[in-house]
Amino acid sequence: MTRIYRVLLKLYPARFREEYAEPMERQFSDEYREAWGRSGRAWLGLRALADVAVTAPAEIARELWQDLRYAARVYRQRSLVTALALAALALAIGATTGIFSVLNALLIRSLPFQAPERLVELSVNPMSVVQGRAAFRAWREGSPYLADAAVYATYEMNLSLTRESARVRVTETTANLLRMLGTEPEFGRGFTADEDIPGRDGVAVIGYGLWQQLFGGDPRALGSTIRVNGVPLTVVGVAPRTLDHPEKTAVWTPTIYDFERIPKAGAVRWHTIGRLKPGVSLAQGSGMFEAEVARAVAGLGRSRIQGLSYDAHLFSLRDRLAGPVRSASLVLMGIVVFVLLIACANLAHLLLSRTTERRQELAVRAALGASRARLMQQLVTEATVLTAAAAVAGMAVAHWTAVLAASAQPAQLSARQYTVLDWRVIGFALGLAVVTGIVFGVLPASLIGRMQPGQDVIRTQPGSSGSGASRMRGVLLAMQAALTVALAAGSFSMGRSFLRLLGADLAFRTDRVATLNVSLLGTRYQTESRERQYYGAALEQLRAVPGVESAAAVSYLPLISKMFMAGQFKLDSGEQGPPAVLIAASPGYFRTMGTEVVEGRELTESDQKGTERVIIISDDLERSFGRGPLLGRKLDLAWQGAPRMATIIGVVRSERYSGPLDQGGAQIFLPIQQSPPGFVTFVAKVRGNREPYLAVCRDAVQRTDRDVPVFDVKTLDQRLADTLARPRFYTTAILFLAGFALLLAVAGAYGVATYSIAQRTHEIGVRIAVGASPQRLRATLFRQSVLPVGAGMLAGVFGAAGLGRLLQHLIASAEPAGLWICAAAAFVLATSTAAAVWTATGRIVRMDATAALRVQ
Amino acid sequence: MAKPSNDTVQEQLPLPVPVFHMLLALSEGERHGYALKREILRRTNGKLNLAAGALYGSISRMLERGLIEESEERPDLHLDDERRRYYRITPLGRRVAQAEAVRMRQLVRLAENCLGLPGTA
Repeated sequence: MTRIYRVLLKLYPARFREEYAEPMERQFSDEYREAWGRSGRAWLGLRALADVAVTAPAEIARELWQDLRYAARVYRQRSLVTALALAALALAIGATTGIFSVLNALLIRSLPFQAPERLVELSVNPMSVVQGRAAFRAWREGSPYLADAAVYATYEMNLSLTRESARVRVTETTANLLRMLGTEPEFGRGFTADEDIPGRDGVAVIGYGLWQQLFGGDPRALGSTIRVNGVPLTVVGVAPRTLDHPEKTAVWTPTIYDFERIPKAGAVRWHTIGRLKPGVSLAQGSGMFEAEVARAVAGLGRSRIQGLSYDAHLFSLRDRLAGPVRSASLVLMGIVVFVLLIACANLAHLLLSRTTERRQELAVRAALGASRARLMQQLVTEATVLTAAAAVAGMAVAHWTAVLAASAQPAQLSARQYTVLDWRVIGFALGLAVVTGIVFGVLPASLIGRMQPGQDVIRTQPGSSGSGASRMRGVLLAMQAALTVALAAGSFSMGRSFLRLLGADLAFRTDRVATLNVSLLGTRYQTESRERQYYGAALEQLRAVPGVESAAAVSYLPLISKMFMAGQFKLDSGEQGPPAVLIAASPGYFRTMGTEVVEGRELTESDQKGTERVIIISDDLERSFGRGPLLGRKLDLAWQGAPRMATIIGVVRSERYSGPLDQGGAQIFLPIQQSPPGFVTFVAKVRGNREPYLAVCRDAVQRTDRDVPVFDVKTLDQRLADTLARPRFYTTAILFLAGFALLLAVAGAYGVATYSIAQRTHEIGVRIAVGASPQRLRATLFRQSVLPVGAGMLAGVFGAAGLGRLLQHLIASAEPAGLWICAAAAFVLATSTAAAVWTATGRIVRMDATAALRVQ
Repeated sequence: MAKPSNDTVQEQLPLPVPVFHMLLALSEGERHGYALKREILRRTNGKLNLAAGALYGSISRMLERGLIEESEERPDLHLDDERRRYYRITPLGRRVAQAEAVRMRQLVRLAENCLGLPGTA
């Protein structure tokens, strides 16, 4: 019984236990001896238990409060070091938490679907939409591995409702998509099984956000008619708030088999998603799917699949939605956690070594009878206070990181938005705070912990006993030097490739250009002549805006379009050209965009319908024919059948359509008047600051016809910035982390040097007193501190190569760091470390032997 | 020792019952923890039985507030275990206990005036 009580006494905090555990135990055993019989003893035991249950928490709270007050005093006295430590920890914890919030949204938080782990995306269409509804139905019902499957295609379209009009994402789908995802409409109904039969498919389910926006949340929305690219659809249901799959869809309609119903432009991509049968794993399902596709391909015969790759795979929908962010975030996470660890270890050091008086204080307290447990309790409390404060500040950093990440690479579904206000993220931050608190509280505690009370007061250099501790410090320093060199080299090479992206010659200007999108699909401009008329009128309006130097229209503007019309065309002499994209452009397009016309002329107003068919080609296309100058030659633009010859009137530099990473390519520009497209982007070159022009230009185009929505109004600079957002984010992140690690490494080296000098003050004093030269002592100490850094740097150079490969997940054009970059990184680290350590060892030269000896 | 001001005394009131009893018991002489507990048990006819945690929790607080102090003098080693700690009341402790008693007296008087307690003259 007494033994049990002794264990219970451990629940009291260190200081109290130290003072009173012994008399308490004695009292208990006295009472136990005096207790009468079994029941008396049992009663005593119960009473003791209740006593501990009540008083132990009270004592813990009391000591915690004392420790906290003491910690606050300690930190106030060293406010600079504390502020630095706090900032570093807040940054490290915040960055880690922020990236965790991205991972949490993408990989941990569940999708807003029923049993989302069974949802898969098929890499190819096993049963193409073209083969019809019945065939697809038969295929999915007969599938040995899929319980259900749905096909969809998604587009941006004009949506109008009597007065309102908007540009929204519309998804054409089979009737079973929503049911397969396992989502019930917020109200109203989903599609019935046969509503995807052409003729019965004039219905739509609208997203929750759109319902709020268009109908103000009015339930009478059900049964009303919306127009999508001019086609009326009856609203039958409202999707739940969490559903906007795929790609932030706002309108779902079961018109997938009714291709002509809703007019659309550009390329179509059909996606197939399915739900695995219970008991079928992703790997099994994928195997069956691959076998099925292989059989189908064999059945088709070789000729029909030439040039097409049938790379059959099942992907988990979750991974598919996470996309490239997944690996990038994982890489960043790994790096950030490493930096955090280094930060903790380092700060533990810094706080400890900055202050020898602290050691003395602790040693004195130990001599006065404070046990190791008690000092440990104090140090851990101090550390926890600091990390808890850092975690709170870190949440702000985390939020900021998540916002930045979202702007660089937004989540595909609103249900996966990166947020720090999630119990997992907050729990993660708290966990980090606790773990770092322990790491960085216990580490110093274990370093001071070895002291033997009597001896320490006499010598005040307790640490000099542990060669193990100093070896650990060396290893730590080396590790951190390695990581810093690798990171710095990585950041240099990322920075360099990013600068290259920024400096890339796109063959068109991005400054002072406003861009506006218009789609005539579903409006009253359906015929070619009407389209021509609209574009002419809109351009006239735009050119009339004061400050607009020139304006033009183009079907595919660089930095916007991802899909093009392309084909292979023959030269008049019969040579087949490479695949080239077809772009319709208005007169003045190249002048507005600043694209150089290498030969011939720009498109003009004289290139009208009925005049000679003319084109302008890119210099890449001219080169790939290998026939020298092609000006004046003709190209056959017919897809098939009778030739449709067009004369080449100009050659321009190839525009890099998708941005700096694009290599240019074969482009053919047609006059917009001869082949008007159903949608265009207007571009306007303006004078001076372009931001104020955006609204003015939009109004000008809008004035042409109120019913044609003008959307996606941006400057070309903004579009370029959007294109570069991802590389910019990752480059900034890596540069920041590398800089941070460098700072920590230097601070660490400085700390260790100061620490070892402080530890050895007495010894150094003796040496100087017996005639050693301070300069030589300084050199020795310098060598000792810099050596592990040097060793670490070597390792880091090797690490840099490995890291470079990882960094390619972040920015495709990043190359593994070359020798020069590694050398540069090592040089930066070496000089800054050397400077820090040299400063730290300066104390030796100034040291007065007698004063040093008096330290004890 | 400087005389404790009236404020230092007043801010300690009212005293928790066990603390008051302990001060009263110590005013008669130094005692160690367990003896203190037994004395209080006796005085209250077994009604106030302080378990170890409560006893030493109170002792620790009283030491902190300067109501009692540890006695350096040990009784004859033959008579008692040298490791037992003895406590004695400080002048402050004495004044606080007095003040508590005065407070209680005033309270009792108030009650008498209001209620007219039976058996009081």
